[in-house]
Amino acid sequence: MLLETRHLSKQFNGIYALKDIHFSLEAGEVHGLVGENGAGKSTLIKILTGVYALDTGEIYWNGEPLTVRNPSEARKAGISVIHQDRTLVPTFTGVENAYLGMPYPTRGGRVDWKAMEARVAKTGKAIGIELDWQRTAAEMSPPQRTCLEIVRAMMNDCRLLILDEPTASLTDKESEWLFSIIDGLRARGTAILYVTHRMEEIFRLTDRITVFKNGEMVGTVLTREISREALIGMMSDNWVAETLHGGSGGGEVLLRAEHLRSRDGIVRDASLEVRAGEILGLFGLGGSGRTELLECLYGYRPVAGGTITIHGQPQTRLTPEKAIRLGVALISEDRRGKAMIGNLSVRENVALSCLKDFARHGVVDSGAERPAVREMTDRLRVRMAGPEQRAIELSGGNQQKVVFAKALMTHPQVFLCDEPTQAVDVMTRGEIHRLLREEADQGRGVLFVSSDLKEVLEVADRVQIIVAGETRETLENRNLNTQQVLACCYREE
Amino acid sequence: MKQAKKIFQSYGTLLALAVIILVFSLLRPSAFFTVKNFLNISRQISLMVIISIGATLVMSINEFDLSVGSMASLGGVMAALMAVAGLPLPLCFLLPVLISLVVGWINGWIVAKFRVLSFITTLGMSTVLSGVIYRLTGGATVFQNIPKGFSWLGTFKIGEIPLLSVIMVVFVVLFTFIMRHTVLGRRLYAIGGNEETSKIAGINVPLYKNIAFALCAVLSCVTGMLIASRVGSANTTAGDGYFLSSYAAVFIGCTVSRKGIPNVPGTLVGCAILGILTNGLTMLQMPTYMQDIITGAIIVLAVILQKVGRGDAK
Repeated sequence: MLLETRHLSKQFNGIYALKDIHFSLEAGEVHGLVGENGAGKSTLIKILTGVYALDTGEIYWNGEPLTVRNPSEARKAGISVIHQDRTLVPTFTGVENAYLGMPYPTRGGRVDWKAMEARVAKTGKAIGIELDWQRTAAEMSPPQRTCLEIVRAMMNDCRLLILDEPTASLTDKESEWLFSIIDGLRARGTAILYVTHRMEEIFRLTDRITVFKNGEMVGTVLTREISREALIGMMSDNWVAETLHGGSGGGEVLLRAEHLRSRDGIVRDASLEVRAGEILGLFGLGGSGRTELLECLYGYRPVAGGTITIHGQPQTRLTPEKAIRLGVALISEDRRGKAMIGNLSVRENVALSCLKDFARHGVVDSGAERPAVREMTDRLRVRMAGPEQRAIELSGGNQQKVVFAKALMTHPQVFLCDEPTQAVDVMTRGEIHRLLREEADQGRGVLFVSSDLKEVLEVADRVQIIVAGETRETLENRNLNTQQVLACCYREE
Repeated sequence: MKQAKKIFQSYGTLLALAVIILVFSLLRPSAFFTVKNFLNISRQISLMVIISIGATLVMSINEFDLSVGSMASLGGVMAALMAVAGLPLPLCFLLPVLISLVVGWINGWIVAKFRVLSFITTLGMSTVLSGVIYRLTGGATVFQNIPKGFSWLGTFKIGEIPLLSVIMVVFVVLFTFIMRHTVLGRRLYAIGGNEETSKIAGINVPLYKNIAFALCAVLSCVTGMLIASRVGSANTTAGDGYFLSSYAAVFIGCTVSRKGIPNVPGTLVGCAILGILTNGLTMLQMPTYMQDIITGAIIVLAVILQKVGRGDAK
């Protein structure tokens, strides 16, 4: 046994991110790790690589107890991770990148570049990777960069290589190249922990698969002994939301997207309809382009093709300003980065999008502004010292209420909500759900994104599936269970 | 204690200003603490206040304009040359303003459209403007054949009150109002607070950046013209000395606001502190190098004290 964890647990704010994990890994196997968003895969990786400290439990490495306090200790022990967002220095050459964090060999007080390149090339060759090592990382293609990272990992005697969604930015052909390298590594006895949402890769590559669900380990199975359906069954728990929905069935279409493509290629072919009186859930796994689709619909992210229709009017060159005028509001997922201005007061934040409504000849009438802001913060029960308090000083839940207050001030007809209950307390979460339902009941349309599938099933009337930037079917949320939704996400097309 | 800290946090800089005034008043009661001297100080700082308001606007959107000094120099040179050429005086003071507006707009356009760091953009612009000044003057101060009326703005007094001081007050009041109570000011602060959030809130960020840079250039130009008018000639580097002190004033001014952001009244306080220090230390016959040391130390100290007060310090 190369690696074994016993009773491994980790909590964040009193909630288990990982609970009592008994996980094991053999040398020379490719081990798949699957699970829904938030199942605990990332937390496990971060514990194994020393990013997080574990709360309780032990890790055994070749039968010996192992403690990793930081990533460099993990690397020294022989555990390396390659993330989807790469960690190369763009302006460094392949050789320099491979030597990141390692002492440079010297000869007579000078860096011995020749010896370095020789060693990098040798390491690469041993696993079948040949690159122009004098090129900078910026000049390399995405798969070349992935290979460079693998070589870097192998510079130290890497015994366990963790690949976290390694094919996310690769084309099919590039992925094949990566797979052949993985096969080579396996033959050499390196263990690989392969994390992905892509079922075909799991079945193509792995020897065994471990399934996580809600921070717990469901089990480990032999890949050749399980079917795709059975695996998806293990990942979900047939959970059906109990709450009743508005069920008015949805009225006219307020916002429609047809074959939408974003310029950066993340949204590839998205079509959906948001109707008056309904909450449309948008669900996809990590990296499916949910956030990006919402930003396209709002005119914030550049669109390359397809059409957006708002209130029956096709929109060309949509901008956030225009979207607001047309009654669309975006609640961004990135609260501090995009939704709120921390250093400004609650009042200034709430009035941000509708300042012109209070202004005459460019002068803001604070006699109109203050009561209007007050009314909105009272309605949403924002707890604060006063409207002049800086927004950053509020709690997460109250910050989110400020973001909602700002959106409501523009009297939107369509709400685009991206993870609106992220990092808010349970009370506020409930209030936000009720608020959105009220708005829907009054004839507004809501597009609701959450990476928490159960939450989507709790609030949505219909669920639109999105996979890898392409929308798939829309499911009526009547006795819909998590397994049915996930089956749509994992289906090969 | 906590209350004391809070007061210090909000009014620390004002307190420092009061202390400085008190010290000089005690040391030189007959010369320093007089109406005449304060009017004198107000005139001395008036030019710096106007150019610093420009810097405040650009800093409010989290950008820098390094070309304020050379823009001021160019403003003075253009006005003087036009006056020498015999253009009607109102035009001599109006045309440079329009030209500076265009220059500032170009600064903003490059920064917003091509996402070039404003530091680089305006550094380049500053060099270009210096080149233009040299082309116009050959490097010599413009002082011959300047009509008499040219000096009126910079030297006229209303009773005992210098016109320059009145102009300064007008600008301070106007821009305090703009930054606090208009859509423009509120949006500039929003952009400075978080550009992405501002975009999502439907604010045309590039447009407002253009406006901020354009206003900054105009205020720099006005300052330069007033300098030329005050001394009756246009030195090719008259504005250069104002660049660093204007930003020093804005930084001190940030400490006056609880949010720590650039603001016009704060900038006035910053200019007053710097101006009064120069005035008082000169009266004490402190050598120039000592004045520099004391002024520099006070600028850094003010910012340190604010950071400590807000608990930002490590």
